[in-house]
Amino acid sequence: MIIPEFEYLSPQSLQEACALLVQYGNRAKVLAGGSDVLVKMKDGLIGPAYLVSLKNLDSLRSIRYEKGTGVIIGARTTHNEVMNNNILQEKYRSVCEAAHSMAADQIRNIGTVGGNLVNAVPSADLPPILIALDAQARIVGPSRARTIALEEFFLGPGKTVLEDGEILTEIVIPDQPTTGSNYIKFGLRRAGALAVAGVASSVAVRDGLCQDVRIVLGAVAPTPIRAHRAENALRSKKISPELINEAGKIAAEESKPINDIRGSIEYRRNLVDVLTRRSLKAAIEKGHV
Amino acid sequence: MSDTATKAFSVIGKSVPKIDGREKVTGKARYTGDLKVPGMLIGKILRSPHAHARILSIDTSKAEKLPGVEAVITAKDVPSTFYGISPARYDETILAIDKVIQVGDKVAAVAAVDEETAVKALGLIAVEYEVLPAVLDPLKAMDEDQPQVHPQYERNISVEIHQNFGDVEKAFQESHLVRTDCFEGNRATHVPMEPHAAISKWEDGKLTIWSSTQSPHYFQYHIARVFDLKMGDVRVMKTFVGGGFGGKLEPSAAEYVSAALAMKTGRPVRVVFDRKEVFFHNRGRHAQHIELTTGVTKEGKILGVHAKFIIDGGSYTGLGIASAYYAGAMLPLIYDFDHFKFDGFRVHTNLPSCAAQRGHGAPQPRFAFESQLDMIAKDLHMDPIEIRKVNARRPNTTTLNDLKVNSCEFTACLEKAAEISDWAGKKGKLPPGQGIGIGCGGFVTGAGYPIYRTRLPQASAVIKVSEQGDTATLYIGAVDIGQGSDTILAQMAAEAMGINYEDVRIVSADTETTPHDFGAYASRQTLMSGHAVKQAGDEIRRQILELAAELLEANVEDVDIDRRIVFVKGSPEKMLTFENVANEFFIRKGPLVGKGSYTPPKLGGKYKGAAVGTSPAYSFAAQISQVDVDEETGQVMVTNVWDVHDCGTVINPNLLHAQVEGALFMGMGEAMYEQVLFDDKGKPVNANLGEYRVPTALDVPQVTSELVDSYEPAGPWGVKEVGEGATLPTMGCYANAIYDAIGVRIYDLPLTPEKVWRAVQERKKQG
Amino acid sequence: MTTAIKKGKLHVVRLNVNGEEHAALVKANTTLLDLLREEFDYTGTKKGCELGDCGACTVLMDDKPVTSCLVLAVEADGHSVTTIEGVEQEGKLDRVQEEFIKHVAVQCGYCTPGMILSAKALLARNPHPSEREVREAIAGNLCRCTGYGRIVKAILAAAETNI
Repeated sequence: MIIPEFEYLSPQSLQEACALLVQYGNRAKVLAGGSDVLVKMKDGLIGPAYLVSLKNLDSLRSIRYEKGTGVIIGARTTHNEVMNNNILQEKYRSVCEAAHSMAADQIRNIGTVGGNLVNAVPSADLPPILIALDAQARIVGPSRARTIALEEFFLGPGKTVLEDGEILTEIVIPDQPTTGSNYIKFGLRRAGALAVAGVASSVAVRDGLCQDVRIVLGAVAPTPIRAHRAENALRSKKISPELINEAGKIAAEESKPINDIRGSIEYRRNLVDVLTRRSLKAAIEKGHV
Repeated sequence: MSDTATKAFSVIGKSVPKIDGREKVTGKARYTGDLKVPGMLIGKILRSPHAHARILSIDTSKAEKLPGVEAVITAKDVPSTFYGISPARYDETILAIDKVIQVGDKVAAVAAVDEETAVKALGLIAVEYEVLPAVLDPLKAMDEDQPQVHPQYERNISVEIHQNFGDVEKAFQESHLVRTDCFEGNRATHVPMEPHAAISKWEDGKLTIWSSTQSPHYFQYHIARVFDLKMGDVRVMKTFVGGGFGGKLEPSAAEYVSAALAMKTGRPVRVVFDRKEVFFHNRGRHAQHIELTTGVTKEGKILGVHAKFIIDGGSYTGLGIASAYYAGAMLPLIYDFDHFKFDGFRVHTNLPSCAAQRGHGAPQPRFAFESQLDMIAKDLHMDPIEIRKVNARRPNTTTLNDLKVNSCEFTACLEKAAEISDWAGKKGKLPPGQGIGIGCGGFVTGAGYPIYRTRLPQASAVIKVSEQGDTATLYIGAVDIGQGSDTILAQMAAEAMGINYEDVRIVSADTETTPHDFGAYASRQTLMSGHAVKQAGDEIRRQILELAAELLEANVEDVDIDRRIVFVKGSPEKMLTFENVANEFFIRKGPLVGKGSYTPPKLGGKYKGAAVGTSPAYSFAAQISQVDVDEETGQVMVTNVWDVHDCGTVINPNLLHAQVEGALFMGMGEAMYEQVLFDDKGKPVNANLGEYRVPTALDVPQVTSELVDSYEPAGPWGVKEVGEGATLPTMGCYANAIYDAIGVRIYDLPLTPEKVWRAVQERKKQG
Repeated sequence: MTTAIKKGKLHVVRLNVNGEEHAALVKANTTLLDLLREEFDYTGTKKGCELGDCGACTVLMDDKPVTSCLVLAVEADGHSVTTIEGVEQEGKLDRVQEEFIKHVAVQCGYCTPGMILSAKALLARNPHPSEREVREAIAGNLCRCTGYGRIVKAILAAAETNI
């Protein structure tokens, strides 16, 4: 197989990168890890005339904790770097586990957080858990920087809010009163499988009471979606197995899956029900796992 | 004899390290795609985007003008000879003439200085198609209103088989219980890790081909025929092969196109498929629609079986003709019954061609039979192992379809499998959601007749001892595709000659330098090539002992050899080394050479198709699996598999068990994970290794592979097959274990979580 | 300043491969896999699918396993790469290689180079892995011949010799 020819550009700074993306508009694609872009090019699905490589932008490849802000993950961080990161392991191991559930070792050394988010595949594994943890997306453009809730970042399969010239630079997981979170993915084999359905949840539980909860469904709608009605059924209520079962059923109703080669609508709805229950149970009982 | 019995031997029965292990772990082993020949060009094939279309025109002018392009060919530039496997079904050409009959069909080809140029050139070839309606559903392919895939096969019938033994209707009338059940098999494919690849060189009227092949001989035969060359002017050499499993037994476009381009350009040309092309070429597992009716006595004895099959052959016939016959032929093998009717149709569709894949047509019928036998057992309140023992084939019997079975330790396999899995302790006693199930199988040890009509022996071998006498070189046509035939044949040669494994060198699978052998398929080489090797080795030994007797002044009956030492029985002080004697032999008489060849006895009955299924010997196996099912998601975790094989004498225990594990693994993939899928236009939707899911290291169970004592008189030192036998039981085994776990029966493969979940919902609805 | 490599133009890349400094002229669309195989003749690294799904093209880049079919040569510029050819040292087999032979973890051998490199990377970061951790480490290396059992045994055996 060959990769169709392109002009390769490797800017030395974020500003240069943004300028190039503005200059070449939709004839250019960002090259982070390459595990999505290069596959699409080999398959003939896209044929960008320019690839703008982020390889020199070291500032985007780090994970740090800023008191008062939260955990800041650079967009160029690889999935294995997320998986093995001490800060995340300590504070939000659920994010590490979500990264771990992706693909296999080799791809996790190539693929990046930014790539996973910007690629906006409905079955992506990082968005649900990050949204459940109220993550914020920092975006830098040629003339401005902005921060939006990651929940608002996705517009549809392959579509995000990024405008011409904008680059996703960092994801911030803000300090929050959550007591637990969890992401469960159901794939058709135990590695190298896209999610047929995936559910992430985060909870703030005190004295058996669900003070707050976020449930995010992946692979069952054009974008990751919050199961608001399921959340409402739980919020401010005393936690019980019956309540969790109820939440699962409601979340299943809120999902909007399609039929495809990995699963049918009915089966996916069933998975949402099951995974929501299991995700909540883990988040409630075990913390950030 | 099994592991224990061959302890009496010096070389065979030992787990010696593979002869090519070091090359493979260091990366030094060169596969066809790794080879560079001086002046070599890269060949690429333009493939059809349509499942069924007429080719109206092809304009190659722009492609020809691209710098770096040396040749562009279409059907008019290559022989239009139709080829295939059975002469009555020669239905394929190197490049499509008039029309394409599957997505991925070969339309044109380019030879260029590098891959990128070749791919660019393909993009410059303009083909005008008239898209035709396609046949995509094998169950509808024979309907009156369906398009014809090939003009010569009416109603898209590739093969129609009607076999009738005894009187099944009478048998059913006499039965206490008769069941009819329908099963659906899945279209699967081999997925060798190495794609098909060939390098062709055309020089002075002679074609030389390096190929990833399971049979240099068959490749040589077919390629010579298509290009109208003398076989002696076609040399096919096997390089290292990265997996075959039946998919590299017929020459592919890699060989044909590289040869055509080499002839056109006068330069060597290498064609390597990319992964998508491997899916297009396919030649994998037929999806079989099976209707099975079985009648039994109230003791569970099978009286009669009626099997009706429709199998999806895809575009071309190739080896698929044999698959259709094997589907029925193997059914009466492992259980003994007297009445059998087999009505089978292999049909053409506009999908990639199906042919030989490990187990060749027999695994899905086995899935059906093993599943149904369990259902019958339940109806009769019998234990699944009990009902199998009632019907198990015994040694030295002949099946109703004239397959002669010598050794058979099937009952012993059943008993041992029950023991090592603790069947009695687990059946009906496992926690909810867990279950245990059994599936069985048996397979040929080489096909009794070659793939084309010929009187050539199945296998031959030549051994030449070095002039110094310190090594011996074994020349064999037999093909090591990773299963280790080079290693075990070297062991057999050493054993026969009386020398050490380390003293044997091997030259194999080159039609010009090695003696004839049909190649690696139908698990034939251990027995068939082994016979030839043993013969050659015995001849060396005989010549050595004759001369040694003279040198030692002893009677030839009193002289023997073991591990390179020639000795006189009873007189330990009188001895010589093999080296001494061999060297002396050369000095006195010239080259010390041994020859061998093997042709099986005439086998099989006289009915149509009787040749398929015949074999000098048969393996048998019982497989038990334990599963843990998550009813809420339908996910099935196979935690343990126990396989017990009757495969005769063991030449190399490690290699043997490795084959069992590998065969079982392929069965597992097809049983639970794998299916080739198409859209409603016949375009593959998962022709990649992300969505066609071969199990990963995290998906596999703990496997215990064991053997029973067995000795096969038709095999050298008592050997039988093992490379395919363990694929057959697996699908039925898992289906039965799932039933035991959660009381749901899945009738179609693969046994996916969604199917299990749906079956559980059904079960709940029915209360 | 931005480095630009125009379509079809050659660019020098420098990599340390198996302990030796290499330089080569590549185009922007040349993969690390093709650079290793075609330019440096390190054909031990295999093409299985070229889309990152099978692991046959696994090499270590800065000691981490990557599927080289999805790494551009220009992105690998300045990095160190280990291929299967770099595993044996002065003709002496590495412990992992020996155990692969001993345990018959090699049949057709096509997945073997990638498997060994994934295994070596695992043992370098985790000298005493559990069976589960071994399976995780090779989950991205597909094998069609062995069923993985002997490969796992070989890697665990190699780990046992780590002090």
